[in-house]
Amino acid sequence: MSEPTPIVETRDLVKHFPIPRPLRDAVRGIPSRAIHAIDGVSVAVRPGETLGLIGESGSGKTTLGWLIARLYPPTSGRIVFDGEDITALRGRALRTWHRHVQMVFQDPLGSLDSRLRVWQIVGEPLLAQEHLHSSELRARVAELLPTVGLPHDCLDQYPHEFSGGGRQRISLARALSVQPKLIVLDEPTSALDVAVQAQILNRLVELQRERRFAYLLITHNVAAVRFVAHRVAVLYLGELVEVGAVRDVLERPVHPYTKALLAAVPVPDVRRRRARYRISGEIPTLIAPPPGCRFAARCPFAVDRCQIEPPRLREIPGHAGRLVACHRAEEVADISPETLIGPVAETPRPTAGRSPAAG
Amino acid sequence: MTDPILSVEGLSIDYEVGAGTFHALRDVSFEMLPGRVLGIVGETGCGKSTLGHSIPRLLPEPPAKVRHGKIVFQGVDLLEVPKWRFPMVRGTEIGMIFQEPINSLDPAYRIYNQVAEAVRVRRLRDAGQVPVFAKGPQPFDYSTGPRPKVADAVAHPFLPSAPQAIGQGSEGPSALAPMPLKAEVLEYLRLVRINDPETVLRLYPHELSGGMRQRIMIAMALSEKPSLLVADEPTSALDVTIQAQVLTLMKELLEEVRTSILFISHDLGVIAEIADDVGVMYAGHLVELGPVADVFERPRHPYTKALLRSIPNRYQDDGPLPTLTGSVPNLSRLPPGCSFAPRCPLARDVCAADPGPALATPLERPRARVNAASCFFSREAEALP
Repeated sequence: MSEPTPIVETRDLVKHFPIPRPLRDAVRGIPSRAIHAIDGVSVAVRPGETLGLIGESGSGKTTLGWLIARLYPPTSGRIVFDGEDITALRGRALRTWHRHVQMVFQDPLGSLDSRLRVWQIVGEPLLAQEHLHSSELRARVAELLPTVGLPHDCLDQYPHEFSGGGRQRISLARALSVQPKLIVLDEPTSALDVAVQAQILNRLVELQRERRFAYLLITHNVAAVRFVAHRVAVLYLGELVEVGAVRDVLERPVHPYTKALLAAVPVPDVRRRRARYRISGEIPTLIAPPPGCRFAARCPFAVDRCQIEPPRLREIPGHAGRLVACHRAEEVADISPETLIGPVAETPRPTAGRSPAAG
Repeated sequence: MTDPILSVEGLSIDYEVGAGTFHALRDVSFEMLPGRVLGIVGETGCGKSTLGHSIPRLLPEPPAKVRHGKIVFQGVDLLEVPKWRFPMVRGTEIGMIFQEPINSLDPAYRIYNQVAEAVRVRRLRDAGQVPVFAKGPQPFDYSTGPRPKVADAVAHPFLPSAPQAIGQGSEGPSALAPMPLKAEVLEYLRLVRINDPETVLRLYPHELSGGMRQRIMIAMALSEKPSLLVADEPTSALDVTIQAQVLTLMKELLEEVRTSILFISHDLGVIAEIADDVGVMYAGHLVELGPVADVFERPRHPYTKALLRSIPNRYQDDGPLPTLTGSVPNLSRLPPGCSFAPRCPLARDVCAADPGPALATPLERPRARVNAASCFFSREAEALP
């Protein structure tokens, strides 16, 4: 392939969280069970690009982010960072490597130590990597703050003195402090209001253009992915179902789950109001995932084969650069997500000028 | 002309805390018609939840303090009703659904007991054994009869303690007959499309998923057949596909069980989906009110316009997202004039001094059916890009 070496690449990555079993079961030899959070995910982030990772809660998107940042050890599979296998990295080597990957978490207050001042929070990753005098550290942090849109003079403030947007900027400054090659953004704007969210998303895009680092954007917010990401990976129950360029995936989704997800996003457009949503059922359990396609139980296009044989991620003719895990991808490719939404049925409702029918 | 089911007139609520007085609601007025859904939308801290909690009088007082205003529900000013009567009214007349269903369900009781309680209360109300806010003479009114002892009220919050209030009359077999109760509970669980309701009845709340719990809450709220349902961010904790299912369900149920809904959300998309009318709040003010199509397509307040514009709906190569400058004002030090003026592109001298024209509710102009905005320059705002 002529593509540049990915900044990070996972190969058949698996993460199972064992469920503790009672002693009684252990004695009887009943095998312990595990939550299959990530099952065989191979995905790559290229230098300077944003990969958006979308999926619902329980799809494993946060687990994947934590695995890539090496905050969890994987159960099996490999993680290759910049050509180097980091799966088995431990101790001092892991700590030194962490300067290349930083994280921004969802809850801006929970991820900032409320008893530390801004300069201590933002400077902490620097201190983990280099020996710096506190005056040097303050100077480095003061330089950094304007790049995320914070004033110079807030060095000595505490996190509680900032609004949600301000706190998320502190998190971002902390991630930038060691000049990482990859920043894992775990739901960076989910706790923010739309107006503030727009400011943060703009800032993220500007920073990436200036500094050329890569983002892994983990979110359930399709609008944020649309604006920030170059490519999108859709995750369902620990498996990738679709990967491709952002415009292609969001405008011509192939996998039935991607279609269902996009159809479910509420749009602030009264003319696109829908009568009913045609996907029913809930996400099945991850303890004993179904043998075939994991979306089959909710899929309107499922056939017998989907219940038995798990689909592989494969290229689809007519969709360059797209990988889809669906047996019927060719057949369903051209079905619009709108078909999963019922037609607008205007129901008679009482209006202000007219009295409603009695009863 | 239809009488409004709820009319809120000039409601102002402050929170008095150590750091000062926070004006959470200022002069909010609107009316709700029977069978319609009014959406309330705004950013964090704009007072939308304070409004939602103030109607069933669920605000902790203190720190909350109602400065002035009226909440007229079925012709009764709720602010003048003694608070001890509210437990019998919440649920039966005014239903509520909150954001986190796990916090609204009792973890120690099975689903059956919780839904059955709601159904039982509804039956008591229908049998005339619970005071309601209906107009005219009430079937049983504590204020005219003997007041219950505190201990009785705690032990049986829904049953009048005066024995003559229950036993007398013609009801014969008690309204609490156990067999049909279970059948009715099952019926409500089926109504909210719960698969295998017989099994679900025996489960505890923690054994259900978020979407299931929220559907149980909706079943409980609907089983009481309230004339007004206050839904405070009912779908915000759910995933989008589950949210779409719940919204679809609520819309279907609206046709079956006629009730008015005050639907509070920060998500403009959800409001566009379900509401008939929408009110936009900013810093405790209701700044715009009107039919949802008008407000979303021709916003007449600069804040509504800015809010709609800041929803990300474009790709990176289409240029940066439009943003609002400045930040939400501190509710303890609000400017005397329009609270949006410091961030408003249209602001002039008059805006800094005067909070803007009062909103005329759509009811006052039933023929016009347009949205009203609390802004001197709403015509200019409409023309903003």
